[in-house]
Amino acid sequence: MTEPAPVTSPGNIPPVTNESANSTSQSGFRTMWEVWTNRVFTMREDRFFLFLAVLIGILSGLAVVCFRIAIEWTQIELLGSSLSPTFPRVILAPTLAGFAVAALVIHAFPRARGSGVNQTKSAVYVSNGYIPFNTVVGKFITCALAIGSGQSLGPEDPSLQMGAGIASLIGRRLRLSQEKVRLIAPVGAAAGLAAAFNAPISAVLFVLEEVIGTWSAGVLGAIVLAAISSVVTMRAFLGPESMFRVPLFRVAKPADLLAYVALGVVGGLASLVFLKWLAYARPRMQSLPRWTQHFQPAAAGLLIGIIGIRLPQVMGAGYPIIDQAMHGQFTWKLLLVLAALKILATGISFLSGTPGGMFAPSLFIGAMLGGAVGAIEQHFFPALPGTVGTFALVGMGTFFAGFLRVPITSVFMVIEVSGNYTAILPVMISSLIAYGISRSYVKVPLFDLLARQDGLVLPSVEEQREQMILTVEDAMRVDAALVLERTDNIAEALKRLEGKEGLLPFLRVRPGEWNFIEHSELHRLAADTSQSHTVEETNSKGPLPFVFRDMSLEEALHWAGDWPALPVLSRADLSKLEGLVTLDDILKAFRKVPVR
Amino acid sequence: MSSSANTIVVGKKGPRIYSREAVLLGCMLLLVLFVLFTAAASRMYHKKIHVLADDWFDEGEASFRVGDVKSALTDYRNALVYSPDNAKFQFHLAQALAAAGRGDEGRSYLLNLLSESPGSGEVNLALARIAAHKALTNDALRYYHGAIYGVWENNPIDMRWQVRRELAEYLLDHGLQQQAVPEIIALADSTPANDTEQLRIVGNLLLKAKLWTRALDVFRTLLIVNASDEDALLGAATSAFNLGKYNAALDYFDKLPEKNRNSPRVAEMYKTTQQINEMNPFLPDLSREAKARRAATAVSVATTRLQQCATQVGQSLTATPSQTQLQKAFAESKEFTPDESWRNITKHLETVDEVMGHAFEMENAAAAACGEPEGADRALWLLSRSQGVPAQ
Repeated sequence: MTEPAPVTSPGNIPPVTNESANSTSQSGFRTMWEVWTNRVFTMREDRFFLFLAVLIGILSGLAVVCFRIAIEWTQIELLGSSLSPTFPRVILAPTLAGFAVAALVIHAFPRARGSGVNQTKSAVYVSNGYIPFNTVVGKFITCALAIGSGQSLGPEDPSLQMGAGIASLIGRRLRLSQEKVRLIAPVGAAAGLAAAFNAPISAVLFVLEEVIGTWSAGVLGAIVLAAISSVVTMRAFLGPESMFRVPLFRVAKPADLLAYVALGVVGGLASLVFLKWLAYARPRMQSLPRWTQHFQPAAAGLLIGIIGIRLPQVMGAGYPIIDQAMHGQFTWKLLLVLAALKILATGISFLSGTPGGMFAPSLFIGAMLGGAVGAIEQHFFPALPGTVGTFALVGMGTFFAGFLRVPITSVFMVIEVSGNYTAILPVMISSLIAYGISRSYVKVPLFDLLARQDGLVLPSVEEQREQMILTVEDAMRVDAALVLERTDNIAEALKRLEGKEGLLPFLRVRPGEWNFIEHSELHRLAADTSQSHTVEETNSKGPLPFVFRDMSLEEALHWAGDWPALPVLSRADLSKLEGLVTLDDILKAFRKVPVR
Repeated sequence: MSSSANTIVVGKKGPRIYSREAVLLGCMLLLVLFVLFTAAASRMYHKKIHVLADDWFDEGEASFRVGDVKSALTDYRNALVYSPDNAKFQFHLAQALAAAGRGDEGRSYLLNLLSESPGSGEVNLALARIAAHKALTNDALRYYHGAIYGVWENNPIDMRWQVRRELAEYLLDHGLQQQAVPEIIALADSTPANDTEQLRIVGNLLLKAKLWTRALDVFRTLLIVNASDEDALLGAATSAFNLGKYNAALDYFDKLPEKNRNSPRVAEMYKTTQQINEMNPFLPDLSREAKARRAATAVSVATTRLQQCATQVGQSLTATPSQTQLQKAFAESKEFTPDESWRNITKHLETVDEVMGHAFEMENAAAAACGEPEGADRALWLLSRSQGVPAQ
């Protein structure tokens, strides 16, 4: 019988060779496990991080599958299986569930409150990626109960937070470095959102746009892997179908795209109304006495139930209703009413502190508005291409872009949730218009606004994105350098410097190698009249680090303090000096940029 | 950076490392358990929603069958909530919407189905019906043809035949005779000779399309199978009548039961056929005298009609020189008087054609000036057609 190999630290284990692998293959499970873990733990950290991303993706995908099943099940049990719940259910289910949700949030899962996006973001920026697992459990239970009982909220943002929570737990348990724990939460967030939306690209873009705000190559790979693995996992259990089925259409003429301009304007204005309302009402709701929190979700449920008596379409996440709108099942008047009531219902649910997401409601509102605009336009211009469904689809992206202020994500989301590429041009046009309108009148994006109302000043990705990036070109001086060759005569060099006090002499040693010569050094050699001196004989400083005119000024700043001036060279010819830049120049350039 | 710096820093003491391994092992175990749990939950969930979807669909079918389209729509929609990609559910919902007069709403589902299976005969047909209902002829034609050349799961030959028939009827109903003709001919060509029901339908479509020869062939085929087939007799009689085969038409009409000859249209045709046969001097087995008398009667009838028509339009038939068709026809017929002419004709039986030619000319001139004639004049006028006299 073979003795089990002693457990040793991976650091002490010699590299696994074929020989050792052969020998260990015979020593049972434990040895195999050790070999495997050694391989895992001795792999480069970035590879290990990618491996973890896949693991997180699968776990998040599974969690989202269970979450969606839980919501559906709750809905069937509480509201019944019909799209039009019966009278007692439509009132009682959201009201009673509201009491339960309030009790759970107040007494068991206080961190489960809210949509989940800015909570994840604040976990990344404030708590070093720490999201208690309790929050994941709380989010799962309270959101399933709230959405399943008809509260006008969606499952995507909670899925994002659950994914981030799972990732955070794994990161902590594996004792990853603090930096990795902070980065692993967005990886899980992308996985959760991708599985909830069945849209990996949109999830990756959203997390990069809204949560992290950087395209760092290291984290990008992990985020993409996590999103893919979660979507694959989700599809394995819930099927690969797109969220919505929209008939294909074709934009025949460029002028046809004008039809979507109106949709962009309407979407932008509607998102503005919703944003302004939330921004105004939320602090007031938060300022209510604490005891009212026990009743707020129930009151919201009651109000939504009252709306639901006549229009049950506004209850819940509303995906089947979006699907119906895309198939032209409603008149434009009803579509407008549904959009308005959904804004009202979602606002009520969200402001009451009921946990749940804003993604699904914003898609619902956008689809209804889009459908209404499409139906009205087609009434007056029957020759317009596309169907009401197409407008509803584009409307989803439009409102999403205006409300959540993620224009790139919204374009890809529309493509992914419909599996329809033909809508890309219309959705780009209308989304940009809606985004522009929203941004003009509400300076802070929704999630940043909510965070600020909670007393957190999180970095705004939108502001970062729009910050001016200064380059060397903004600071460099073009005519301030005198280029000297090694063989140049000192007297002649001084002659060229005569009357030009600001001119700084650079010595071109060879292409890519430049030195700096002090004026005093030239004068020192010139004072020796016994013989003729060349520039080569000076004590020049160098070789100087050089910069290019398109490099960021921050990069140039690294070296500028150590040298009197940096040469700005041509990328095509390193022997050609295009200008120079000094520390003073750089600081002056920075001072010119307006500060937020 | 050195390779050691690139590896995970796991510390120097054992327990910390084991804990990390344990965490990883725990994750793996959790993953397996979670997969098993999710699989079980997902299985239960799918089972439940399939049951719900099927239940709602069955309720929808039941409501639709009893004509409660509104309930059917709600039920189908509920079914689609639990099985949104189910083509059958979508198709039935679309059909229910079309039945409720909301074809536009149904069209969207059908277009979606069509984008997934462009060759579906059923979907094309449903779309064609919606387009036909809205009189969008180009769309209707496109979808009907899509259905004719599309895929049918059950009984494709019969389904294609039925669709083409529906298309032909649509085109005829909308006065698109020219487009209907090729469809009806194709339909006739694809109809099996032993299927009397289909032959009957094709025959009637051929009648509607005024393809008399083909129609007569079809009805004759039917009469071979059943000589007393009333529809076939009527169809054959109508075809023969329109082909100018009045003798054959009379034969079919005579075989038709009395009740089938009661409709005004058929009764008139029958009467006209009888008159034609009574006035026709070209029938075989007539005596010389009978032929001559019929020819003389024809001239007399035509002359009277000509005179009445001239009065009606205010023309003098005796004006010289003859300028109008009426005057020319009258001038040429003046040579014959009823009393003399039949004797003259009996003596010179070879002049029957010429005499009848004059009579036909007068009837045609009168028809051109005063409109289609009635009674004996109509019989004479139709006889002229069957003898190949061109209309004026």
